Amino acid sequence: MHVPDGVLPLWLQILMLIVSGAFLIFSLIMINKKLDERVVPYIGVLAAVIFAAQFVNFPVPPYSSGHLIGATLLAMMVGPWVGIIIIALVLFIQALYGDGGLLMYGLNLFNMGVFSCLFAWTLGVLIFKTARKKLSEKSALLLSAAITSYIVTVAAAFVLGLELMTEPAFGFTALVAITSIHSIIAIGEAILTVVILEYFVRAKPTLIALLKGSKTRDAADVPIKPLSIDSVQEG
Amino acid sequence: MMRREDIVKFVVPTIVIIVVILSIVILGGLASSNPDGFEWAFFEFANVSEPESGFEGMWAFLGEGPMVELFTGVIGVLLVFVLGLILFKATARKE
Repeated sequence: MHVPDGVLPLWLQILMLIVSGAFLIFSLIMINKKLDERVVPYIGVLAAVIFAAQFVNFPVPPYSSGHLIGATLLAMMVGPWVGIIIIALVLFIQALYGDGGLLMYGLNLFNMGVFSCLFAWTLGVLIFKTARKKLSEKSALLLSAAITSYIVTVAAAFVLGLELMTEPAFGFTALVAITSIHSIIAIGEAILTVVILEYFVRAKPTLIALLKGSKTRDAADVPIKPLSIDSVQEG
Repeated sequence: MMRREDIVKFVVPTIVIIVVILSIVILGGLASSNPDGFEWAFFEFANVSEPESGFEGMWAFLGEGPMVELFTGVIGVLLVFVLGLILFKATARKE
């Protein structure tokens, strides 16, 4: 899903750099308020895991390939704000490696980081809380990770397809193609997410924001109150 | 800062596991060289011509091959780990 330079109009590249830049600054503010310094080395490890997992492609029959994005894994483990920063770091190194354009950095960060992490957190929490009523906490976590990572990957590809339609050369066919191929890649994303999450559940469950007693739970808090009838009446 | 015991028990083994898995996958030829989802969808399925990129990456001068891929992959893993430590250490809440 790494878009190279020269594919999309300059105005969109600049717009996405500004949007992603604003989210990066907000994420850093949130981290500064909430992330405990003691979990920093674990988060460094997690960033290394994401880079390695994005470095190698798995085959997608018959002619394509895919790799882990990792947004759902990060959102569920350390929350969306830390997740956005980790994806930003990984994409920056990848851009220096020639994978994904330097000017496209903002757009790639928006699709794989900002949109994916925030959507994954919202959807993941919803599914996790629902599944927890019937299953154990760890089973609910793995189930919600599998479902969320599949949906988020397809949704991110759809968003990319919409962005690409700003270029007249790319039509509806391209949108369908990129969404369709990612509906297969998303199966790999779901499997890898569950496998890596399972490792962390066994090795360091206190790192996982969604689980009770997590050291990263504070950092995962999203300061957005759901709109309720009470809040409307108060307004 | 975290305890030395945690670093020895978790951080170092995980980094070693990452490097070992990466080595097995790359040197064993297990990674797919097919075009990724984006490339396939656009440059092949939708028949869009691939743009010429001006920047081939900071390791382009090393050429191609499994050993180069492994070297750059391991450097990348360590680079992301160290940069992550520096960045999050600088921005995290101090106790």
